Amino acid sequence: MSDRNVSLSSALKYKGQGPYLTYILHRIGGAMMAIFITTHVLATFTEMQGWQIGDVINDIYISPPFQIVFMFGVLFHLINGMRITILDLFPQQLIPYHRQAILIEWIIFILVYGFAVVTTITTAIGRMS
Amino acid sequence: MEVTIKIFRYNPEKDKRGHYETYKVEAHENDRVLDVLELVKGHKDGTLSFRRSCAHGVCGSDAMRINGRNMLACKTLIRDVGANITVEPIMGLKVAKDLIVDMNPFFDNYKKMLPYLINDNPLPADGKERLQSPEQRARFDESTKCILCAACTTSCPSFWASDEYYGPAALVTAHRFIFDSRDEGAEQRLHVLSETNGTARCHTAYNCTEACPRDIQITKAIGELKMAMVTGKID
Ligand code: SF4
Ligand code: FES
Repeated sequence: MSDRNVSLSSALKYKGQGPYLTYILHRIGGAMMAIFITTHVLATFTEMQGWQIGDVINDIYISPPFQIVFMFGVLFHLINGMRITILDLFPQQLIPYHRQAILIEWIIFILVYGFAVVTTITTAIGRMS
Repeated sequence: MEVTIKIFRYNPEKDKRGHYETYKVEAHENDRVLDVLELVKGHKDGTLSFRRSCAHGVCGSDAMRINGRNMLACKTLIRDVGANITVEPIMGLKVAKDLIVDMNPFFDNYKKMLPYLINDNPLPADGKERLQSPEQRARFDESTKCILCAACTTSCPSFWASDEYYGPAALVTAHRFIFDSRDEGAEQRLHVLSETNGTARCHTAYNCTEACPRDIQITKAIGELKMAMVTGKID
């Protein structure tokens, strides 16, 4: 008998539909936040010790490209989490409409994330000029 | 039309790991993937192993990954999946041979749900049936349709992570009895579901609902179980 034949790549290759994509992005957003908070605490600590590595990490954190990528994870995790919570509270009434709920979620996410990206870019340009 | 089918092969007596073999067969676009597998087994390679019984979507034997998604081979038409088909075993259960997986962990989880009517009260005065209104019957109608094919459980990322998780099919079974007005075992079953490997492991990926060949709203059923556990009410 073989093993349970589930690797990360076979799991990611499974052709789930739209909800599975939100499931994967939710986990990526959660992992990004966990890594960010851990390294941020460590960077602040090393900075206080006068070690240069802390400065380097914090410089990355305040750079616009990093912020744009990071905001994707955080905002998606937040908005998707709200969709899951609302549907979980009214399973009988709302879960049959999960596809529509995910569509609404994407519309809200694109608007909020788009606003955040534009604000980050204009702020960065303002700082440069 | 010519159909090219790439099939996962694994013979525990010969192979260390699985590999793929590709076959070309003549089939009709209205044939099912199961028909193509039968053609391969009958004319190309008699050692190919897969489960099938009813061939009509009733027995639940032939769930497999077809072009990356769990489906029943006997309900999937060639015209819906195209002339290039990849067939693999369902994930999360050990492969015994080719497309055959060890279903024991799946049925072990099923048994934990106490899948039978529990009612020790005396029979009604006429000594015959425990009557139920059409509304009471409708409450759990959908979850009675399960054919235990495992397409849902083996599409679930939580089950891939651990086969200790009871999985969607077992939870559908729990729903079928918990919401049956004739049954008195809800408390016992909710207790089982409240364990670490119960409903808490459902993270609403909806792969189960998408995979179910019986169109059961599995995530909704699990949501109703979660609510029953939180509120203590079964309505
Ligand atoms: S709930 Fe649907 S997918 Fe899951 S075992 Fe039953 S019939 Fe198969
Ligand atoms: S062979 Fe029975 S369900 Fe497909």
